[in-house]
Amino acid sequence: MSRNRIYKITGAVATVFLLLVLAPKFLPEMKIHLATEIMIFALFAVSFNLLYGYGGMLAFGFAAFFGFGAYATALIISRIPAMPLLLTLAIAALSGFVMALLIGPLAVRLKGTYFALITFAFQMFLYAIALKWRDVTNGDDGIGIARPDLYLPFLGNLSMAEISNLYYVTLALVALGIIACYLFLKTPLGNSIMCIRDNDVRSSFLGYSVYLTKVTVFCLSGFLAGLAGGLFVLFNEFVATNCIDLSMSFLVVLMALVGGTGQFLGPILGAAFYITFQDWVSSLTQRWWLFIGALYVVVILYIPDGLISLFKSERIRLFGNRKRG
Amino acid sequence: MHTILKAENIVKEFVGLKALNGVTLEVYEGERHAIIGPNGAGKSTLFNIITGMFKPSSGKMFFRGKDITGWPAHKIARAKISRSFQIINVYPKTTVYENIRNAVVSKFNRRFNWVTLLSRDQNIEKESNRLLDLLSLTAARDVLASELSHGMQRQLELALTLALDPELIMLDEPTAGFTRDESHKVVQLIRQVTEGKTLIIVEHDMEAVFSLADRITVLSYGQILATGTPNEIRENEEIKKAYLGRKGNGTGA
Repeated sequence: MSRNRIYKITGAVATVFLLLVLAPKFLPEMKIHLATEIMIFALFAVSFNLLYGYGGMLAFGFAAFFGFGAYATALIISRIPAMPLLLTLAIAALSGFVMALLIGPLAVRLKGTYFALITFAFQMFLYAIALKWRDVTNGDDGIGIARPDLYLPFLGNLSMAEISNLYYVTLALVALGIIACYLFLKTPLGNSIMCIRDNDVRSSFLGYSVYLTKVTVFCLSGFLAGLAGGLFVLFNEFVATNCIDLSMSFLVVLMALVGGTGQFLGPILGAAFYITFQDWVSSLTQRWWLFIGALYVVVILYIPDGLISLFKSERIRLFGNRKRG
Repeated sequence: MHTILKAENIVKEFVGLKALNGVTLEVYEGERHAIIGPNGAGKSTLFNIITGMFKPSSGKMFFRGKDITGWPAHKIARAKISRSFQIINVYPKTTVYENIRNAVVSKFNRRFNWVTLLSRDQNIEKESNRLLDLLSLTAARDVLASELSHGMQRQLELALTLALDPELIMLDEPTAGFTRDESHKVVQLIRQVTEGKTLIIVEHDMEAVFSLADRITVLSYGQILATGTPNEIRENEEIKKAYLGRKGNGTGA
């Protein structure tokens, strides 16, 4: 990467970050809500992209980790009110990690469609538990929570009922998660993951353990997804089976595809676009799902590399004669 | 002489086919050992069993006296047995430098390092550049592997194999797809880079085999017909028959 490009990217990221920090000062409350939701799903989509875009593993049941983190958070907040908020969120992330550690060793032995389907099967299994174990999960009715305050040294108690406070906490944690993921991909282990995605046979004959590396990336993406799930519950003040169901799994696939997988910024852009689009369309019509479906079709047909590809230097042929395989 | 690799009565059965039928073979430290034989003789199968691609149906494989039978490929690679592929097998979507760096990261055991940045690692960079130089790939450093010529891809294939600093180098038809002239150069290169190391080579080009190998093993129908120096093999009547396609009395259907 040229020095010039590094400066450009750093500048762009710093500008966006500054805007995000200042945003609550200017935006109406509704928009702060929207921005918070975007950030949470950006983290979710980034964690999915770590597995799919960089690890080459397409999981159809990725909501398993998001949902497990979400339920863990809701249960802790409702049953152990004294638990510090940051610790709760750390546990949410860890529960995503642990769930991935349980599923991963079985799932990563499979490839392609089989891998996609087995993750889906595990997710549906967890969904069934969330639905049927009413004593704990409240089934369809879900668990409502009140956002606990966040205690910070020097700053004292921050009320999370105040949306701008929640916004900043979300911003900090999401930024931390995304930056960590970005740096992680630049380490030798991050490189190992891409080696195995690109050529698993050659990699194993170079001494890479395909299995262990895959399990590792599976768990790390589960960790980030669990954190996103925890933040989502905090934001929504409610968890129900929709956090761990099929449509949540597909939502993250859709966001990543719309934005562009395999590109670091793609899923972030995808999440921002999707949430904004959904917010806008659903304010216009009740049949907004129809438009989401249309969006899916348009992206797959005309922008298969995602919205991020529109920003790349290559000439864009939106309606051109792209060769189809 | 010191034995580095020993195969003991290796049998490999695929469904309905006995590819190897009791192969016993010793490879000495520091020799260049060629495995030849007609198509379907079991050369590739033996090669794949040594490198961990397949597990043998029965029999034992020893490397430096250690039983490595049935080890997975990555463990065998870490034990310093390194192979190339008959059909070019590199990382097509990354540059030549990155290809080699992937191997160097593995050699330095940094595969699971997640606390330093790869681009900051001076040792890895230095070693990768050294290998680029050794295989005269420096000019193509930033070219995508898929955009290299066939010859350069072969060189990269060889570079990946050598990057692990193997004690036993296994080359699977390294001259495949070359003209006679180019083939000469490749043999020259192999001779140079395998100096002082142990080499097992599977090769169809007899000229290459006889000029390169210290000893030759001839496989036919999953069994070893003979092992010996190039001269011994050249003189062997049975082998002449096998290569001419006439079957000896006892060699099966």
